[in-house]
Amino acid sequence: MPSFEDSALYMENDICLVGLNHRTAGVDVRERFALAGHCDAEHWALPCTGGIRESLILSTCNRVELLAAGTGDVADRMLHCWARARQARVSDIEPYIYVHKSLAAVRHIFSVASSLDSMVLGEPQILGQLKAAYRKAAACRTTGVILNRLLHKSFSVAKRVRTETAVASNAVSISYAAVELAKRIFGDMRSHKALLVGAGEMAELAATHLLQNGIDEILVTNRTYARGRELADQFGGRAVPFENLTDTLAVVDIIITSTGSPEPVIRARDVRTTLRTRKNSPMFFIDIAVPRDVDPDVNSLDNVYLYDIDDLKEVVEENIAGRRDEAARAHRIVDEEVAAFAGWLATLDVQPTLVALIDRGERLARDEVSRTLKRLGSQDEALREALETMANALVRKLNHAPITFLKNGCSGQENKEARINAIRRVFNLDSDT
Amino acid sequence: MISPEISSSINLVLLGAASAFAFAGILARNALLRRVGMWIVLLAFAAQTLQLLFGYHKHLPGGLSLGAYIQLIAWFVLLGGIIVWRRLQQQTPLLFAAPLCFLLFFVSMFCLDSAVTLPASTQHSFYALHIGALFSSLGLLTIAFFAGALFLSLERRIKNKERMPGIWQDMPAISLLDKINALTVLIAFPLYTVGIVSGIVWSKPVFGASAVGDPKEVVSVVIWIVFGILFHNRLVKNWKGRKPAQWTVFIFLLCLFSIIVVNTVMNTHHAFIRG
Repeated sequence: MPSFEDSALYMENDICLVGLNHRTAGVDVRERFALAGHCDAEHWALPCTGGIRESLILSTCNRVELLAAGTGDVADRMLHCWARARQARVSDIEPYIYVHKSLAAVRHIFSVASSLDSMVLGEPQILGQLKAAYRKAAACRTTGVILNRLLHKSFSVAKRVRTETAVASNAVSISYAAVELAKRIFGDMRSHKALLVGAGEMAELAATHLLQNGIDEILVTNRTYARGRELADQFGGRAVPFENLTDTLAVVDIIITSTGSPEPVIRARDVRTTLRTRKNSPMFFIDIAVPRDVDPDVNSLDNVYLYDIDDLKEVVEENIAGRRDEAARAHRIVDEEVAAFAGWLATLDVQPTLVALIDRGERLARDEVSRTLKRLGSQDEALREALETMANALVRKLNHAPITFLKNGCSGQENKEARINAIRRVFNLDSDT
Repeated sequence: MISPEISSSINLVLLGAASAFAFAGILARNALLRRVGMWIVLLAFAAQTLQLLFGYHKHLPGGLSLGAYIQLIAWFVLLGGIIVWRRLQQQTPLLFAAPLCFLLFFVSMFCLDSAVTLPASTQHSFYALHIGALFSSLGLLTIAFFAGALFLSLERRIKNKERMPGIWQDMPAISLLDKINALTVLIAFPLYTVGIVSGIVWSKPVFGASAVGDPKEVVSVVIWIVFGILFHNRLVKNWKGRKPAQWTVFIFLLCLFSIIVVNTVMNTHHAFIRG
């Protein structure tokens, strides 16, 4: 297997990435050096001048990364631009940054797009943020052949990782895990109602997720009715008096509890009675409160499922572990794609020779057609067209073998250079005018 | 005219391919493979329906072979799966039915020459009603069994907060499995009743009495009673979830006992099926 890392070092335009993220810098440092405002056309922080030919800025709450393609010490130029944009010294940023060059930069951007470098492994937002960053860079006309190809490829790699691995599946937050469990019990959420008992950040988050998954209606009950109504308005639902809690259980399927009550507010005997009223339709209790709001015996009833905060934490931990296992598979996919991208990059080196070879052929064809027509003394357009077609076809056929010879030699650096030199000498491309 | 061997082989290949796609789709968690598997199952069902309509299954003059009977069961199982798919938009039962039907077809290939000499009385129209109703019921009960068994497995995991790795995550929600179970049981029991009643009516002119104490009759009545209890409780007492799933699995196992053990081992007037 040829070393793609080596071959990339010879590229005329090298890819370089400079950045900091949640692992290398605390939130205060990330805030200090964020470039969110510098991604817009009028404030673009990376001018495409000097050695930098193409550039892209990705600035999110967890990372600030500058990606560029160019010649010379691109990393150093980017760092200076970054420091200048944030009115800081390079030495202020340096302790927190990482620099990836050539295929290491390609691998990094593929990993970022696939959410393998995220704080929450497999989270979906980063791909959208990278797409937005690319759109801004494209609008500022700072992307070219290399970054266009690199970014489009990173989007397809991210899609492949999501399709072929389970790195993005399974909930990794308590509230989302609760909703995922509800879907395992009820499937489609559209014909089901949820009840929020008490108020709490996690319960509200779970209610938000339920709404996003199309739950039919959210009811809210709170000891303070006004607070309940406020919450109900927030979710477009309706408030019910706390005294009616037991009766309300008969009409809801998912119950999320998070009161501050020292005693359970929902008892097994009440649920048993409710089950008869609701003709044994399943109920799912999500008890986020500590101390618990729902009597643990409820879980022993048929068609009733109870998950408390510890159960949900366990689910989340297992899911995180599952994602980590899948990440190894995802990294293998990234490696495959980096190798494929290296193949494409390598062909960039032979482009000038290919272009020169084709130009030379076309020029010779043109000259020979003019000479022949002059010798014949003919002004016939049809004859000119026929001669041109024949000459161009002949040149294409003659060029086919050297072009194939060049393209096939792109995998190894020594081999590639030898082939380029051979073609340039045989066809006299360097002195040909 | 296509021979029974060729027509059976076509179905065997289609069901084999469907099973392979279904397994691959479930194990690889690939929805496209599962969908392809489902469409091949439907193709196999259409092919078998055409074969039945054109009578390719009638290998022996004046009667069906044992293989054709086994294939007929597979057709009714697929029919049950299609009913669920159409009514509840759920393809899982069809995917589970594919390997079972493949197995039935595979076994049937060894019995295509095994002649089933039907008594003259089976020409009676009640015989067609008896067999048709019971086989339809069995097909639906098979789907109910798949849904029930899967429900019990998934529900235990949810109840006990066990991890649900890999393929479990692509399985239908337990409420949906319960709906499949309810739909199939509520259709299957009336059909089973029609099968039993037509059998009793048919039995009178053939055996001289409506009930002669034949082992098959006894087991069938036991199944009917147990099935009736499930039907009644589902319909009237709103049984849902684990209990009806457990009963369905038990009834299906009783039916298997009736078909495999009673028909082939015991001394019964259904022994003609042995060939």
